[in-house]
Amino acid sequence: MTASRLSKGGRIDRAKTVRFTFDGRAYSGHPGDTLASALLANGVTLFGRSFKYHRPRGVFAAGSDEPNALVTVLSGEVREPNVRATELEIHDGLVTESQNRFPSLEHDVMAINQLAGPILSAGFYYKTFMGPAIGPLRSTRVWMFFEKFIRRAAGLGKAGIAADPDHYERMNAFCDVLVVGTGPAGLLAAEAAAETGAQVIIAEERPVAGGALLASAELIDGRNAAVWAREKAAALAGLPNVRFLTRTSVWGYYDGNVLTALEHVSDFKPNRTKGQARQRHWVIRTGKTILATGAFERPIVFPGNDCPGVMLADAVRRYAIEYGVAAGNNVTLFTNNDSAYEAARAMAQAGVNIVAIVDVRADISGACIEIASAAGAELVLGHAVTGTHAGKTLSSITVQHFNAQTGHVSGAAREIKTDCLGVSGGWSPAIHLASQAGGKPEWDEDLQAFLPPEANQNWVTAGSAAGYMDTVSVFSDGATKGTSSKTKPKLPAVDAPMFDASPAPVFEIEPAAKSQKAFVDFQHDVTADDIRLAYREGFHSVEHLKRYTTLGMATDQGKTSNIPGLAIMADVRGISIPEAGTTRFRPPFTPVSFGAIAGERYGDLRPHRLTPMHDWHLANSARTYEAGLWHRPMIYGSHGETVEQAYVREARAVRQSVGIVDVSTLGKIDIQGPDAAAFLDRVYTNMFSTLPVGKARYGLMLREDGIVYDDGTTWRLSETQFLMTTTTANAGNVMQHLEFYLDCVWPDLRVHLTSVTDVWAGTAVSGPKARAVLEACVTGTGVDNATLPFMGIVHGFIGDVPVMICRLSFSGELAYEVYCGAGFGTQVWEALLEAGKPFDIMPYGLEALGTLRIEKGHVTGAEIDGRTTAHDLHLDWMLSKKKPYIGSGMKDRAGLNDENRLSLVGLISLDNQSINGGSHIVSDAAPREPADSFGHVTAACYSPALGKYIALALVKHGTSMIGNRAYATDLLRGKHGAVEIVSHHMFDPEGSRMHG
Amino acid sequence: MAEPQSPLGHTFVPGDHGNSAGGIGLVLTERRDVSIVQVTAWRGTIPAVLTAIGDVTGLNLADKPGAGRSAGEKSAFGFAPGRYFVVAPSADLEDRLRRAIPLETGTIIDLTHGRTAIRVKGPWSEWVLSKLFAIDFSEHGFPVGFGRATLHHDIHANIQRTDAETFDLYVFRTFARSFWQTLGHAAAEVGYRVE
Repeated sequence: MTASRLSKGGRIDRAKTVRFTFDGRAYSGHPGDTLASALLANGVTLFGRSFKYHRPRGVFAAGSDEPNALVTVLSGEVREPNVRATELEIHDGLVTESQNRFPSLEHDVMAINQLAGPILSAGFYYKTFMGPAIGPLRSTRVWMFFEKFIRRAAGLGKAGIAADPDHYERMNAFCDVLVVGTGPAGLLAAEAAAETGAQVIIAEERPVAGGALLASAELIDGRNAAVWAREKAAALAGLPNVRFLTRTSVWGYYDGNVLTALEHVSDFKPNRTKGQARQRHWVIRTGKTILATGAFERPIVFPGNDCPGVMLADAVRRYAIEYGVAAGNNVTLFTNNDSAYEAARAMAQAGVNIVAIVDVRADISGACIEIASAAGAELVLGHAVTGTHAGKTLSSITVQHFNAQTGHVSGAAREIKTDCLGVSGGWSPAIHLASQAGGKPEWDEDLQAFLPPEANQNWVTAGSAAGYMDTVSVFSDGATKGTSSKTKPKLPAVDAPMFDASPAPVFEIEPAAKSQKAFVDFQHDVTADDIRLAYREGFHSVEHLKRYTTLGMATDQGKTSNIPGLAIMADVRGISIPEAGTTRFRPPFTPVSFGAIAGERYGDLRPHRLTPMHDWHLANSARTYEAGLWHRPMIYGSHGETVEQAYVREARAVRQSVGIVDVSTLGKIDIQGPDAAAFLDRVYTNMFSTLPVGKARYGLMLREDGIVYDDGTTWRLSETQFLMTTTTANAGNVMQHLEFYLDCVWPDLRVHLTSVTDVWAGTAVSGPKARAVLEACVTGTGVDNATLPFMGIVHGFIGDVPVMICRLSFSGELAYEVYCGAGFGTQVWEALLEAGKPFDIMPYGLEALGTLRIEKGHVTGAEIDGRTTAHDLHLDWMLSKKKPYIGSGMKDRAGLNDENRLSLVGLISLDNQSINGGSHIVSDAAPREPADSFGHVTAACYSPALGKYIALALVKHGTSMIGNRAYATDLLRGKHGAVEIVSHHMFDPEGSRMHG
Repeated sequence: MAEPQSPLGHTFVPGDHGNSAGGIGLVLTERRDVSIVQVTAWRGTIPAVLTAIGDVTGLNLADKPGAGRSAGEKSAFGFAPGRYFVVAPSADLEDRLRRAIPLETGTIIDLTHGRTAIRVKGPWSEWVLSKLFAIDFSEHGFPVGFGRATLHHDIHANIQRTDAETFDLYVFRTFARSFWQTLGHAAAEVGYRVE
């Protein structure tokens, strides 16, 4: 194969030069070239090494069906492997390398695998690494030993480890009609749809529209087909109701007429404009889809068919017409159908030298004979290619007589000198998206191909995707499918010879004797013999065949291999191809980068939720951590301070004087309506209808099954309005829970719910000096014990900011929650700090908050873990006996009152060592595995108030275990220490401090 | 009176951003001078609520899903059955609505502090917003005046179209900074100005 640039032709810009490298060597091409066309023009024929056998492989196709020519694109430290050279547009500075070879593409040591062909046949892994253990030899151990070597030897490109610096984005699009493909059918379908006024999106995977017309020798309306297509596309793109997307591959078809597409926005450019994404992930919701996806030429399987220089006939044509590249000096075509003659006509016009056309058919039409004659090609009828001769590239082929009745070859072999063999085994409609959409493809005996299944959504196929293979029929079908109008469309005039679209039913040329390997799936190195082997070993179903041999499972999804593979299996089973069936295509039609799917979330996986005081926290040495989406201060650390030192300092300040903590993250729900109180009586276990206006109450919710759901305080702001607070983590769930009951269970209740979490900034002021701090800064209301008793609510001002203050305590100290409009959060926070200066007020973070509540035995999500009951948590006192509520019917089930249930206790470390959260509670003094656990630690800390390491735990027979010694064991982190089980009320059990 | 603090903080940087050399495709602003009040009707009281909103704001809304109107800085739109956002640059908006809508007709909640109002204006507004929200921003799918409630991942947004190329977005305040940054990234390719 000695490819070269033709002196003219192609849609490349010959006036400009593009420089790029492949395997470190500099090459040049022209704008409009793909990497494949540019390398071919430079005489490069060897593009890569095959997956398993490391056989030399050249370019085989000219588009997204390419199985061989996969390369890695390098951009600094970033590697993008397995890019099809046939689709990769070159640009200045493009750096590429070949794959799956060492040390070089020319001299690959793993080519030795070719000698191990019989061993590496289908099912190699299963046979070699699965089986009975023989002594110390277990097959899994053997696999573990060999795996790394096998993985290194096999496979495609190597992914890099450098972070991808590009950005990606998503686009949501809506249209009346989506047209996929811009060949003759797609263009006319889009035009017809657009003329009705419909909103139309047209998606074309290639850089330019035109499809098959781009490489056609036909005249359309008297003009070159490619020119006609370009003008038609430009006219469509100019319509206000049409969005024309090029470089956009529609890769997935989902229910509800939702399709996904990948647009190459800028990765074909040497320089990107600021803010431009590399790729864009389209989600298109359409009323109707027109799949004008064309057809893929399929090869004929024959011995030696994978050497560089053997290509699809249409690919040879496209390189000549579209890129001005002759794929060989002496091209031979091998075919079972007429389309190769149309290709020969176009190639001859472009200046490609065609030496011979080998046709399995003994009789062909006069038009075909004329074309062969005009092209100066020898016609070798009734023959088949039975072998190739190649070093790194093709030098000659052997042909033998072929009996179309028996499918056997016979007679003397004849050698034909050729450096490029274009093969055509017929055409398979590109039904991938239609198959994804659902339904079973239907076999067409004339085309020897599967046609699209019956539509189960509003989609149609048009043109060759629907089985129409000549341009006149394709135009007609496209124009008809684009509109529901019954008016006969006006079609372009086509000047082209008519051909018979039916191929001879020949899929494989089996040699009379043992010969070279004949490949079916080039990308996964699956041979025709592998398929026969699968049959002999009992894998007859196409689904089993696919998985056993990996036929059609590579990144090309078997675009060139599925039908030949099925045909071979059908032949050995003695059944027809439709009886053998086919597998269903799955997304993606072409590979999609994860970055594109992540879209704008790449590098920024989830949003950040910030309290109104967030900036203050950061400016004042807060170390934050993520709690769900929230960023919350963990500690306010001083230089050189550990987390434990910081939270102990903060918690001690609260117990001794006063501290403030940001509680804006608490869920807050506005509940309004005439039935608001009745509603709360139903969702809380305790009574709220008796709560006076201006007072708050601690409430407990159960799930329907009697398990505790959430807790929090709810404030009565008026007879008909409440402000409910929930735990931070459960805010969304509680909102949904309440909305469900209002909408579906109690629609008669007149209650409205609104999330107001973001409306209020909340600051808890806690400690013996808390009241003094408020007295120093709050105006418009008193905060003395009479005016603001425990669980009381007052309204006042801090500065000129309106505030609402509720006296409640999570810390166990005298404490208040000060709420203001979120926009004033920082002002109020700073005013409180200023007012607290005389008392050495200190901000405290979640660690200190946790410490204070552990000392008090107050529960949070660690104890309300979806398994505990109110009884387990010693909250039975909150269960009303006067009314029903959610969960009241189920809470008394025997299992929920079993005396063996875990219940809440406190733990005190007896060895003055910290206790790990999650530790199991065991009775053994010595750590052992497995231990007989009878409980677990839910939260642990150092208690500055007690001067000890303490914890809360859920323990079997909890209350009756108080006073016992046990051990907290955490074998995972190597910790085992003695603890005393105590009451969960470890500090100020009488509550005198918070009521003071 | 203290000035409410914007949640956008240091991420609000007036000036031109992104590919502004190629022109300004969008202008982004935070509307800090408006009150945002949610009005919710009971079953059967929607006409009365719409009348009251019209009386208070002068904006007469049709009784159909998502219908709305805007005039200058005043706007009102539905975003869920019986639920409306009423937005106006007046501090007593909530009081006036509360007087016009008794509890028997509906409920009122002032969300001014809880929602951040972002205006997206410019010829590329449909394009950029389509990157973030899975709704149809074309004018025939999203007519002028109408409102929508939608999501960008975890971020809820109420959106009203106020003219052919202007959308007012109302996002939860605590998510506003994160969303603002995402919006800026999405707008970068068309060049945008922050005012």
